[in-house]
Amino acid sequence: MSTLEKDYVCPVGEGIYAANTGDWRTQRPEIDQEKCSRCGTCLLYCPTNSVRRVEGRFVIDLGYCKGCAVCAAECPKQCIAMIREGRK
Amino acid sequence: MSALDLLAEREDMISPGISACVGCNVELTLRTVMKVLGPNSILAIPPGCMGGVGVVGWNKQSGAKVPVFFPLLDNTASMLAGIRLALDAKGRDAHVVAFAGDGATVDAGFQALSGVAERGDRIIYICYDNEGYMNTGYQRSSSTSKGSWTSTTPVSKEGQGGKRQHGKDFPMIMAMHDVPYVATASPAYIPDLVRKVEEAMKVKEGLAYIHVYNPCLTGWGIRAEESISVARLAVKTRFFPLYEARNRKFKITVPVPNPLPLEDYTSRIKKFSHLGPERIAELKDLAEERYRFLEAVSAGGGGRA
Repeated sequence: MSTLEKDYVCPVGEGIYAANTGDWRTQRPEIDQEKCSRCGTCLLYCPTNSVRRVEGRFVIDLGYCKGCAVCAAECPKQCIAMIREGRK
Repeated sequence: MSALDLLAEREDMISPGISACVGCNVELTLRTVMKVLGPNSILAIPPGCMGGVGVVGWNKQSGAKVPVFFPLLDNTASMLAGIRLALDAKGRDAHVVAFAGDGATVDAGFQALSGVAERGDRIIYICYDNEGYMNTGYQRSSSTSKGSWTSTTPVSKEGQGGKRQHGKDFPMIMAMHDVPYVATASPAYIPDLVRKVEEAMKVKEGLAYIHVYNPCLTGWGIRAEESISVARLAVKTRFFPLYEARNRKFKITVPVPNPLPLEDYTSRIKKFSHLGPERIAELKDLAEERYRFLEAVSAGGGGRA
């Protein structure tokens, strides 16, 4: 169980149901921190809530990221690259 | 608090791994809405995509950090009205929230929702409108746009067919119930959506209804990374205007003074790919007519103060 899941307390049932959606990914986003203007568009529009704000910078938590590339398409600075995932 | 600060700092109320399609903007909508509503909420998700992907739970496990129910397709609003009465009887307060698809809202659940609106039960009802029954293979609903390909309105090799009727203008139907708060929203305008959910939370008497227009990637045939940009085009072409109404007092929240050609939107969507210029023009005429109507009722002020 990841640290993220341990944080979760459920009001009903035996715990949280979490599909390992990180396993679906065929490409992963990488933010170029030099070019990033810290606008947070990636965080606002990430469908899986995989973007975190850490000390003003935006970083991607790949745990459940499905690799949809919405962040790369929406980034106004176009500083997010999609890198093809190798075999796991 | 800005929308970015709120979304960066608040806890996600939904399981981190739900099996919505890659890039699904309904998943984004649900997470955003629940971050704004917070932990003091009771959620009901009728059959539909968000039920199917595991938010209502699976194998004794729950898909959300708040109590979540799986009502029938047609009784979501009535069930929540009962939950509100029970909370009132116990002297407790919580946000009582429905997150339902267009099938459970515009078609099957309409009678229950209309009843709640008329009786003035205090619930927040959020409809994610993806124009059809997506999790069973995209059958048409009464929200589907005219001309759309769906699995129950097929298209011939010659490009004939598609849905024969226009979709209902559902948020307007809800506004005409004279409820305290009705709004339309889009996953491409997240700060606008956040503000509208906050407004819905302020309603202390009666129904707050938010209609979110979510282009469906798998059903409509849209590339995953265009999930947000296609939703934005629906607003920028006036196909789905963003507004809010308080007791019939209308306000357009994202005005579109210079709309983009509707082809910019329809050309990105496979379900419209068989439509010729004439049938696109028909969609455009209806969109323009609905926008003009909206402008007229907004400018006039209308309604009760």
